[in-house]
Amino acid sequence: MKYFFLITAIGITIFAACNSSNNTPSKAGSDSLQTKQETPAPEAKSTTPVKDILAGYIQLKNALAGDNGNDAATAGKTMVDAFQKFDKSALTADQKKVYEDVEDDAREHAEHIGKNAGNIPHQREHFDMLSKDMYELVKTFGAGQSLYKDSCPMYNDGKGATWLSEVKEISNPYLGKKMPTCGTVKEELK
Amino acid sequence: MVIAIQFIQPARNKNGQVIATDISKIYSLPQSVQATLKTACYDCHSNNTNYPWYTNIQPVGWMMARHIKEGKEELNLSEFGSYSERRQLSKLRSIENSIKDGSMPISSYTIIHKNARLTKEEKAQIIDWAKIIRDSLANKN
Repeated sequence: MKYFFLITAIGITIFAACNSSNNTPSKAGSDSLQTKQETPAPEAKSTTPVKDILAGYIQLKNALAGDNGNDAATAGKTMVDAFQKFDKSALTADQKKVYEDVEDDAREHAEHIGKNAGNIPHQREHFDMLSKDMYELVKTFGAGQSLYKDSCPMYNDGKGATWLSEVKEISNPYLGKKMPTCGTVKEELK
Repeated sequence: MVIAIQFIQPARNKNGQVIATDISKIYSLPQSVQATLKTACYDCHSNNTNYPWYTNIQPVGWMMARHIKEGKEELNLSEFGSYSERRQLSKLRSIENSIKDGSMPISSYTIIHKNARLTKEEKAQIIDWAKIIRDSLANKN
């Protein structure tokens, strides 16, 4: 049944795409069809299930890059919410295992970041660990957008740390405005 | 009033035994590190608190009970083995960081518990030990 909907949705989308370019006059007649096809379309595009969590993370990353502890705390709380609302029912057994393992840890980091608006160094410590968790999530569930794994060699007394970014340009969340462009792209994720 | 509140004693955090998930049962702990953990960490971060006499005076005992509750939520060394490996790694990292930056043991605790004030050597021992365990955990995966 699920497949039937999916195939229909894809079929209609293709049909509509071909249609719209050369067949505008019959628009009035196909209106009812149009509304139907628009609803299943986003699902067929298969955005990643971790979309909201990732959105919170990106928000957090940008706040830290701008040395803004308050925004980082807000983003941390957004992430905690996203973890809470996450729907595990659609996951396979293997995916569920990865998710639960990561969530257990990641949610705690997000909580800490949320509680430490006045302590950016502490937020960054947790962001470092959280970034590893997020990498795991994205590797398992897909990013649903272009995403880059960046690395900063200087953080952690020269031991380095990684983070995920939605843009190719480096904007360093560990060193912030002090050294905004320190770091390199290590991997491109999809 | 002062006398009245003395009768409201918080429940004790003491189960008297070292359970199988205790960090000392899971990882090899040098004697020195184990001793430091016991004196400086276990009071708030385990299921066994060593209560000094003045915690029988309220509200000191209540404050202590709150500290212990929060401490155990954050890190419970008695139940370390029940954490996932990922979480153990994070906790070890946080132990290192908080010892390094001096945020732990917390100052409201060390002000009274003088022997919980760590020397440079004691700090270094804990940090080195945590690093070794962390590396062995990371290599396993």
